Amino acid sequence: MKKTKIAISSTGNNLESEVDARFGRCSYFLIINVEDKKIKDFKAIENTAKAQMGGAGISAGEIVAKQKVDAIITINLGPRAFSIFDQFKIEIYHGEGKIKDVVQELIEGKLKKLSNATGPQHAGL
Amino acid sequence: MKIAVTGGKGGTGKSTVATSLAVEFANSKKTMLVDADVECPNDYLLLSAKRKKYSNVYQPIPKWDFKKCVKCGKCAFVCKQNAIVFVKDKFPAFVKDVCIGCKACIVACPNNAISETKKQIGTIYTGKNHNIDIITGELKLGELASGEVVASVREKSDEINKKLNSEIMIIDSAAGIGCPVIASLVGTDYIIGVTEPTPSALHDLKRVLYLANHFNIKHGIIINKFDLEKSFCSKIESYAKKNKIPIIGRIPYRKDFVDSTIKMKPVIEINPEYKEIFQNIIKTIKKEIIRI
Repeated sequence: MKKTKIAISSTGNNLESEVDARFGRCSYFLIINVEDKKIKDFKAIENTAKAQMGGAGISAGEIVAKQKVDAIITINLGPRAFSIFDQFKIEIYHGEGKIKDVVQELIEGKLKKLSNATGPQHAGL
Repeated sequence: MKIAVTGGKGGTGKSTVATSLAVEFANSKKTMLVDADVECPNDYLLLSAKRKKYSNVYQPIPKWDFKKCVKCGKCAFVCKQNAIVFVKDKFPAFVKDVCIGCKACIVACPNNAISETKKQIGTIYTGKNHNIDIITGELKLGELASGEVVASVREKSDEINKKLNSEIMIIDSAAGIGCPVIASLVGTDYIIGVTEPTPSALHDLKRVLYLANHFNIKHGIIINKFDLEKSFCSKIESYAKKNKIPIIGRIPYRKDFVDSTIKMKPVIEINPEYKEIFQNIIKTIKKEIIRI
Protein backbone atom coordinates (compact mmCIF):
# COMPACT_ATOMS: atom_id res chain seq x y z
CA MET A 1 0.00 0.00 0.00
CA LYS A 2 2.07 2.90 -1.25
CA LYS A 3 -0.44 5.46 -2.44
CA THR A 4 -4.12 5.03 -1.62
CA LYS A 5 -7.06 7.39 -1.68
CA ILE A 6 -9.88 6.54 0.67
CA ALA A 7 -13.30 7.96 1.47
CA ILE A 8 -14.88 7.65 4.91
CA SER A 9 -18.46 8.40 5.94
CA SER A 10 -17.96 10.86 8.79
CA THR A 11 -19.98 12.66 11.43
CA GLY A 12 -17.68 15.72 11.27
CA ASN A 13 -15.20 17.45 9.01
CA ASN A 14 -11.88 16.47 10.61
CA LEU A 15 -9.80 13.42 11.53
CA GLU A 16 -11.00 13.50 15.14
CA SER A 17 -14.61 12.83 14.01
CA GLU A 18 -16.27 9.44 14.26
CA VAL A 19 -17.18 7.17 11.36
CA ASP A 20 -20.85 7.80 10.52
CA ALA A 21 -22.91 4.62 10.74
CA ARG A 22 -24.87 5.48 7.61
CA PHE A 23 -23.11 5.76 4.28
CA GLY A 24 -25.76 7.43 2.08
CA ARG A 25 -26.96 9.84 4.75
CA CYS A 26 -23.77 10.67 6.62
CA SER A 27 -22.85 14.33 7.24
CA TYR A 28 -19.44 14.45 5.58
CA PHE A 29 -17.13 12.38 3.48
CA LEU A 30 -13.48 12.63 4.45
CA ILE A 31 -11.27 12.05 1.44
CA ILE A 32 -7.89 10.96 2.72
CA ASN A 33 -4.65 10.45 0.81
CA VAL A 34 -2.47 7.76 2.35
CA GLU A 35 1.15 7.62 1.27
CA ASP A 36 3.87 5.38 2.68
CA LYS A 37 1.56 4.14 5.41
CA LYS A 38 0.81 7.65 6.66
CA ILE A 39 -2.00 10.16 6.23
CA LYS A 40 -0.58 12.66 3.73
CA ASP A 41 -3.51 15.02 3.52
CA PHE A 42 -7.29 15.06 3.67
CA LYS A 43 -10.31 17.11 2.75
CA ALA A 44 -13.92 17.09 3.91
CA ILE A 45 -16.80 17.12 1.46
CA GLU A 46 -20.29 17.81 2.67
CA ASN A 47 -22.74 15.05 1.75
CA THR A 48 -25.33 16.91 -0.29
CA ALA A 49 -27.37 13.69 -0.61
CA LYS A 50 -27.94 13.55 3.16
CA ALA A 51 -31.47 15.01 3.17
CA GLN A 52 -32.51 13.71 -0.25
CA MET A 53 -36.00 12.18 -0.44
CA GLY A 54 -34.82 8.91 -1.93
CA GLY A 55 -31.83 7.43 -3.69
CA ALA A 56 -29.34 8.96 -1.24
CA GLY A 57 -27.08 5.92 -1.60
CA ILE A 58 -26.83 6.43 -5.36
CA SER A 59 -26.09 10.16 -5.09
CA ALA A 60 -23.62 9.66 -2.26
CA GLY A 61 -21.97 6.88 -4.24
CA GLU A 62 -21.61 9.24 -7.17
CA ILE A 63 -20.06 11.98 -4.98
CA VAL A 64 -17.51 9.55 -3.63
CA ALA A 65 -16.75 7.78 -6.91
CA LYS A 66 -16.07 11.15 -8.58
CA GLN A 67 -13.24 11.63 -6.07
CA LYS A 68 -11.50 8.64 -7.69
CA VAL A 69 -11.02 6.83 -4.42
CA ASP A 70 -9.64 3.30 -4.22
CA ALA A 71 -11.46 2.29 -1.05
CA ILE A 72 -14.30 3.26 1.26
CA ILE A 73 -14.67 2.88 4.98
CA THR A 74 -18.14 2.92 6.48
CA ILE A 75 -20.40 0.96 8.82
CA ASN A 76 -23.63 0.44 6.90
CA LEU A 77 -24.43 0.85 3.25
CA GLY A 78 -27.35 -0.29 1.15
CA PRO A 79 -27.59 -2.43 -1.99
CA ARG A 80 -27.62 0.44 -4.46
CA ALA A 81 -24.48 2.14 -3.17
CA PHE A 82 -22.84 -1.28 -2.86
CA SER A 83 -23.67 -2.10 -6.46
CA ILE A 84 -22.15 1.17 -7.71
CA PHE A 85 -18.85 0.61 -5.89
CA ASP A 86 -18.81 -3.00 -7.01
CA GLN A 87 -19.15 -1.90 -10.64
CA PHE A 88 -16.47 0.78 -10.23
CA LYS A 89 -14.24 -1.79 -8.48
CA ILE A 90 -13.89 0.35 -5.35
CA GLU A 91 -13.26 -1.70 -2.22
CA ILE A 92 -15.48 -1.30 0.85
CA TYR A 93 -14.21 -1.77 4.40
CA HIS A 94 -16.01 -1.87 7.72
CA GLY A 95 -14.54 0.46 10.31
CA GLU A 96 -15.87 2.00 13.53
CA GLY A 97 -14.51 4.71 15.79
CA LYS A 98 -12.36 7.80 15.36
CA ILE A 99 -11.43 8.45 11.71
CA LYS A 100 -7.73 8.82 12.58
CA ASP A 101 -7.64 5.42 14.26
CA VAL A 102 -9.70 3.72 11.59
CA VAL A 103 -7.32 4.87 8.86
CA GLN A 104 -4.44 3.45 10.89
CA GLU A 105 -6.30 0.15 11.18
CA LEU A 106 -6.76 0.08 7.41
CA ILE A 107 -3.06 0.75 6.89
CA GLU A 108 -2.25 -2.13 9.21
CA GLY A 109 -4.64 -4.38 7.30
CA LYS A 110 -6.93 -4.88 10.29
CA LEU A 111 -10.22 -3.82 8.67
CA LYS A 112 -12.72 -6.32 7.34
CA LYS A 113 -13.73 -6.04 3.71
CA LEU A 114 -17.46 -5.94 2.98
CA SER A 115 -18.63 -8.24 0.20
CA ASN A 116 -22.35 -7.49 0.50
CA ALA A 117 -24.66 -4.62 1.35
CA THR A 118 -25.19 -4.48 5.10
CA GLY A 119 -28.92 -3.87 4.97
CA PRO A 120 -31.88 -3.18 2.72
CA GLN A 121 -32.41 0.07 0.84
CA HIS A 122 -33.92 2.96 2.82
CA ALA A 123 -32.43 1.56 6.05
CA GLY A 124 -30.62 4.87 6.62
CA LEU A 125 -33.80 6.94 6.59
CA MET B 1 -69.20 -2.26 -20.56
CA LYS B 2 -66.15 -1.19 -18.59
CA ILE B 3 -66.63 0.39 -15.18
CA ALA B 4 -63.70 1.78 -13.21
CA VAL B 5 -63.88 2.04 -9.44
CA THR B 6 -61.61 4.74 -8.06
CA GLY B 7 -61.79 7.52 -5.49
CA GLY B 8 -58.49 9.23 -4.77
CA LYS B 9 -58.08 8.67 -1.06
CA GLY B 10 -57.13 5.23 0.14
CA GLY B 11 -59.40 3.25 2.46
CA THR B 12 -62.67 4.74 1.25
CA GLY B 13 -63.98 1.34 0.15
CA LYS B 14 -63.01 0.99 -3.49
CA SER B 15 -62.37 -2.76 -3.29
CA THR B 16 -65.50 -3.35 -1.19
CA VAL B 17 -67.59 -1.54 -3.81
CA ALA B 18 -65.81 -3.20 -6.75
CA THR B 19 -66.20 -6.73 -5.39
CA SER B 20 -69.80 -6.18 -4.21
CA LEU B 21 -70.83 -4.75 -7.57
CA ALA B 22 -69.10 -7.63 -9.35
CA VAL B 23 -71.03 -10.17 -7.24
CA GLU B 24 -74.32 -8.43 -8.05
CA PHE B 25 -73.56 -8.03 -11.75
CA ALA B 26 -72.56 -11.69 -11.97
CA ASN B 27 -76.10 -12.73 -11.02
CA SER B 28 -77.39 -11.70 -14.41
CA LYS B 29 -74.37 -11.05 -16.65
CA LYS B 30 -70.99 -12.59 -17.39
CA THR B 31 -68.67 -10.48 -15.25
CA MET B 32 -64.95 -9.90 -15.05
CA LEU B 33 -63.21 -8.08 -12.20
CA VAL B 34 -59.82 -6.56 -12.95
CA ASP B 35 -57.78 -5.75 -9.86
CA ALA B 36 -55.61 -2.88 -11.04
CA ASP B 37 -54.39 -1.92 -7.57
CA VAL B 38 -51.12 -3.62 -8.40
CA GLU B 39 -49.22 -2.42 -5.36
CA CYS B 40 -51.68 -4.12 -3.06
CA PRO B 41 -54.12 -6.32 -4.98
CA ASN B 42 -56.58 -8.01 -2.65
CA ASP B 43 -59.86 -8.44 -4.52
CA TYR B 44 -59.03 -12.14 -4.92
CA LEU B 45 -58.72 -12.35 -1.14
CA LEU B 46 -61.99 -10.52 -0.52
CA LEU B 47 -63.68 -13.03 -2.82
CA SER B 48 -61.71 -16.07 -1.58
CA ALA B 49 -60.53 -16.89 -5.08
CA LYS B 50 -57.52 -19.09 -5.78
CA ARG B 51 -55.29 -17.45 -8.33
CA LYS B 52 -53.13 -18.95 -11.01
CA LYS B 53 -50.20 -17.27 -12.76
CA TYR B 54 -51.13 -16.12 -16.25
CA SER B 55 -48.05 -14.19 -17.41
CA ASN B 56 -45.11 -12.07 -16.30
CA VAL B 57 -44.80 -8.33 -16.83
CA TYR B 58 -41.44 -7.08 -18.04
CA GLN B 59 -39.88 -3.68 -18.40
CA PRO B 60 -37.01 -2.79 -20.73
CA ILE B 61 -33.64 -2.01 -19.16
CA PRO B 62 -30.36 -1.05 -20.81
CA LYS B 63 -27.35 -3.31 -21.29
CA TRP B 64 -23.90 -1.94 -22.08
CA ASP B 65 -21.35 -3.31 -24.50
CA PHE B 66 -18.17 -1.95 -22.93
CA LYS B 67 -16.22 -2.80 -26.08
CA LYS B 68 -18.18 -0.07 -27.84
CA CYS B 69 -18.50 2.34 -24.87
CA VAL B 70 -16.28 5.42 -25.15
CA LYS B 71 -17.01 6.60 -21.57
CA CYS B 72 -18.68 9.85 -22.70
CA GLY B 73 -21.29 9.82 -19.91
CA LYS B 74 -24.21 10.85 -22.12
CA CYS B 75 -26.33 7.93 -20.90
CA ALA B 76 -25.99 9.07 -17.28
CA PHE B 77 -26.67 12.70 -18.24
CA VAL B 78 -30.06 11.91 -19.81
CA CYS B 79 -31.19 9.49 -17.07
CA LYS B 80 -33.84 11.32 -15.09
CA GLN B 81 -34.12 8.45 -12.60
CA ASN B 82 -30.46 8.73 -11.61
CA ALA B 83 -30.12 5.01 -12.35
CA ILE B 84 -26.84 5.51 -14.22
CA VAL B 85 -23.78 6.83 -12.42
CA PHE B 86 -20.94 8.17 -14.52
CA VAL B 87 -17.44 8.98 -13.35
CA LYS B 88 -14.88 10.26 -15.84
CA ASP B 89 -12.62 7.56 -17.33
CA LYS B 90 -14.78 4.74 -15.98
CA PHE B 91 -17.54 2.69 -17.55
CA PRO B 92 -21.00 3.78 -16.34
CA ALA B 93 -22.47 2.00 -13.32
CA PHE B 94 -26.14 0.99 -13.53
CA VAL B 95 -28.57 0.62 -10.63
CA LYS B 96 -31.19 -1.73 -12.03
CA ASP B 97 -33.98 -1.33 -9.51
CA VAL B 98 -34.46 2.42 -10.00
CA CYS B 99 -34.67 2.14 -13.81
CA ILE B 100 -38.20 2.72 -15.14
CA GLY B 101 -37.43 1.70 -18.71
CA CYS B 102 -37.64 5.02 -20.55
CA LYS B 103 -34.82 4.02 -22.93
CA ALA B 104 -33.43 7.59 -23.11
CA CYS B 105 -29.91 6.21 -22.53
CA ILE B 106 -30.22 3.95 -25.57
CA VAL B 107 -31.20 6.93 -27.73
CA ALA B 108 -28.51 9.19 -26.25
CA CYS B 109 -25.59 6.78 -26.76
CA PRO B 110 -23.57 8.07 -29.76
CA ASN B 111 -21.82 4.72 -30.23
CA ASN B 112 -24.71 2.23 -30.12
CA ALA B 113 -23.08 0.67 -27.09
CA ILE B 114 -26.38 0.21 -25.25
CA SER B 115 -28.86 -2.46 -26.21
CA GLU B 116 -32.17 -3.42 -24.67
CA THR B 117 -32.76 -6.25 -22.26
CA LYS B 118 -35.54 -6.71 -19.72
CA LYS B 119 -36.33 -7.22 -16.07
CA GLN B 120 -39.48 -8.65 -14.51
CA ILE B 121 -41.55 -6.02 -12.70
CA GLY B 122 -44.79 -7.85 -12.09
CA THR B 123 -47.09 -10.81 -12.57
CA ILE B 124 -50.62 -11.26 -13.91
CA TYR B 125 -52.87 -13.83 -12.23
CA THR B 126 -56.29 -15.23 -13.07
CA GLY B 127 -58.85 -16.75 -10.75
CA LYS B 128 -62.55 -17.41 -10.44
CA ASN B 129 -65.10 -17.43 -7.66
CA HIS B 130 -68.73 -16.32 -7.15
CA ASN B 131 -69.03 -16.70 -10.93
CA ILE B 132 -66.62 -13.77 -11.46
CA ASP B 133 -63.45 -14.04 -13.50
CA ILE B 134 -60.82 -12.18 -11.51
CA ILE B 135 -57.71 -10.85 -13.25
CA THR B 136 -55.05 -9.51 -10.91
CA GLY B 137 -51.93 -7.51 -11.61
CA GLU B 138 -49.20 -7.50 -8.99
CA LEU B 139 -46.13 -5.30 -8.91
CA LYS B 140 -42.89 -7.01 -7.88
CA LEU B 141 -41.69 -5.91 -4.46
CA GLY B 142 -39.39 -2.87 -4.66
CA GLU B 143 -40.25 -2.04 -8.28
CA LEU B 144 -41.49 1.41 -9.22
CA ALA B 145 -43.32 1.22 -12.54
CA SER B 146 -46.81 0.38 -11.22
CA GLY B 147 -48.42 2.20 -14.16
CA GLU B 148 -46.75 -0.24 -16.53
CA VAL B 149 -48.17 -3.22 -14.64
CA VAL B 150 -51.66 -1.65 -14.70
CA ALA B 151 -51.38 -1.06 -18.46
CA SER B 152 -50.34 -4.68 -18.81
CA VAL B 153 -53.18 -6.07 -16.68
CA ARG B 154 -55.64 -4.00 -18.74
CA GLU B 155 -54.17 -5.35 -21.96
CA LYS B 156 -54.20 -8.94 -20.73
CA SER B 157 -57.76 -8.69 -19.40
CA ASP B 158 -58.89 -7.54 -22.85
CA GLU B 159 -56.98 -10.46 -24.36
CA ILE B 160 -58.55 -12.95 -21.93
CA ASN B 161 -61.98 -11.46 -22.48
CA LYS B 162 -61.81 -12.19 -26.20
CA LYS B 163 -62.39 -15.82 -25.17
CA LEU B 164 -64.63 -15.22 -22.16
CA ASN B 165 -66.86 -12.54 -23.69
CA SER B 166 -67.80 -10.94 -20.39
CA GLU B 167 -70.36 -8.21 -20.79
CA ILE B 168 -69.27 -6.41 -17.66
CA MET B 169 -65.69 -5.56 -16.78
CA ILE B 170 -65.10 -3.86 -13.44
CA ILE B 171 -61.69 -2.27 -12.96
CA ASP B 172 -60.64 -1.69 -9.37
CA SER B 173 -58.04 1.08 -9.33
CA ALA B 174 -55.38 2.01 -6.82
CA ALA B 175 -55.66 5.08 -4.60
CA GLY B 176 -54.26 8.39 -5.82
CA ILE B 177 -54.45 10.14 -9.17
CA GLY B 178 -51.09 9.20 -10.71
CA CYS B 179 -49.92 6.85 -13.49
CA PRO B 180 -51.49 3.64 -12.16
CA VAL B 181 -54.87 5.36 -11.70
CA ILE B 182 -54.74 7.02 -15.12
CA ALA B 183 -53.93 3.62 -16.65
CA SER B 184 -56.98 2.18 -14.83
CA LEU B 185 -59.38 4.88 -16.02
CA VAL B 186 -58.53 5.20 -19.72
CA GLY B 187 -60.90 3.51 -22.12
CA THR B 188 -63.65 2.87 -19.58
CA ASP B 189 -67.34 3.70 -20.05
CA TYR B 190 -68.08 4.80 -16.53
CA ILE B 191 -66.08 5.90 -13.49
CA ILE B 192 -67.27 5.44 -9.93
CA GLY B 193 -65.66 7.72 -7.37
CA VAL B 194 -65.93 6.05 -3.97
CA THR B 195 -65.60 8.53 -1.15
CA GLU B 196 -66.29 8.93 2.56
CA PRO B 197 -67.36 11.95 4.65
CA THR B 198 -63.90 13.21 5.56
CA PRO B 199 -62.10 16.36 4.33
CA SER B 200 -59.18 14.44 2.80
CA ALA B 201 -61.51 12.06 0.97
CA LEU B 202 -63.47 14.96 -0.57
CA HIS B 203 -60.25 16.75 -1.50
CA ASP B 204 -58.92 13.66 -3.30
CA LEU B 205 -62.30 12.87 -4.86
CA LYS B 206 -62.33 16.30 -6.52
CA ARG B 207 -58.91 15.61 -8.00
CA VAL B 208 -59.74 12.17 -9.35
CA LEU B 209 -63.06 13.35 -10.82
CA TYR B 210 -61.20 16.22 -12.46
CA LEU B 211 -59.24 13.46 -14.16
CA ALA B 212 -62.48 11.68 -15.17
CA ASN B 213 -63.73 14.94 -16.64
CA HIS B 214 -60.47 15.41 -18.50
CA PHE B 215 -60.87 12.02 -20.16
CA ASN B 216 -64.50 12.86 -20.88
CA ILE B 217 -65.78 9.74 -19.14
CA LYS B 218 -69.16 9.75 -17.37
CA HIS B 219 -68.85 9.46 -13.63
CA GLY B 220 -70.78 9.27 -10.40
CA ILE B 221 -70.12 9.28 -6.68
CA ILE B 222 -70.70 6.61 -4.07
CA ILE B 223 -70.58 7.93 -0.51
CA ASN B 224 -69.36 5.10 1.65
CA LYS B 225 -69.85 5.27 5.44
CA PHE B 226 -72.23 8.17 4.70
CA ASP B 227 -73.85 8.05 8.18
CA LEU B 228 -70.51 8.43 9.92
CA GLU B 229 -70.54 12.22 9.71
CA LYS B 230 -73.79 13.52 8.26
CA SER B 231 -72.85 17.18 8.31
CA PHE B 232 -69.75 16.56 6.21
CA CYS B 233 -71.77 14.29 3.96
CA SER B 234 -73.84 17.32 2.97
CA LYS B 235 -70.64 19.04 1.84
CA ILE B 236 -70.01 16.18 -0.58
CA GLU B 237 -73.63 16.43 -1.72
CA SER B 238 -73.37 20.14 -2.41
CA TYR B 239 -70.09 19.65 -4.30
CA ALA B 240 -71.82 16.98 -6.43
CA LYS B 241 -74.84 19.21 -7.05
CA LYS B 242 -72.73 22.21 -7.99
CA ASN B 243 -70.74 20.16 -10.49
CA LYS B 244 -73.76 18.17 -11.72
CA ILE B 245 -72.23 14.84 -10.70
CA PRO B 246 -74.83 12.25 -9.70
CA ILE B 247 -74.56 10.51 -6.36
CA ILE B 248 -75.28 6.95 -7.37
CA GLY B 249 -75.24 5.35 -3.96
CA ARG B 250 -74.90 5.70 -0.22
CA ILE B 251 -73.44 2.90 1.87
CA PRO B 252 -73.84 2.90 5.65
CA TYR B 253 -71.03 2.37 8.12
CA ARG B 254 -71.55 -1.12 9.55
CA LYS B 255 -69.56 -3.86 11.18
CA ASP B 256 -70.78 -6.24 8.45
CA PHE B 257 -68.13 -4.82 6.15
CA VAL B 258 -65.41 -5.68 8.63
CA ASP B 259 -66.83 -9.20 8.96
CA SER B 260 -66.91 -9.48 5.18
CA THR B 261 -63.19 -8.72 5.04
CA ILE B 262 -62.32 -11.06 7.89
CA LYS B 263 -64.38 -13.94 6.52
CA MET B 264 -63.24 -13.23 2.95
CA LYS B 265 -66.83 -13.31 1.78
CA PRO B 266 -68.88 -10.72 -0.16
CA VAL B 267 -70.78 -8.43 2.20
CA ILE B 268 -74.15 -9.48 0.76
CA GLU B 269 -73.44 -13.01 2.00
CA ILE B 270 -72.83 -11.65 5.47
CA ASN B 271 -76.01 -9.60 5.36
CA PRO B 272 -78.39 -9.78 2.35
CA GLU B 273 -79.77 -6.38 3.35
CA TYR B 274 -77.05 -4.74 1.21
CA LYS B 275 -78.19 -6.50 -1.94
CA GLU B 276 -80.70 -3.75 -2.57
CA ILE B 277 -78.11 -0.98 -2.20
CA PHE B 278 -75.82 -2.53 -4.81
CA GLN B 279 -78.70 -3.47 -7.12
CA ASN B 280 -79.84 0.15 -7.04
CA ILE B 281 -76.32 1.35 -7.81
CA ILE B 282 -76.22 -0.96 -10.84
CA LYS B 283 -79.61 0.33 -12.03
CA THR B 284 -78.44 3.92 -11.67
CA ILE B 285 -75.19 3.26 -13.55
CA LYS B 286 -77.12 1.66 -16.42
CA LYS B 287 -79.41 4.69 -16.59
CA GLU B 288 -76.49 7.08 -16.41
CA ILE B 289 -74.62 5.38 -19.24
CA ILE B 290 -77.61 5.59 -21.57
CA ARG B 291 -78.28 9.24 -20.63
CA ILE B 292 -76.70 11.72 -23.02
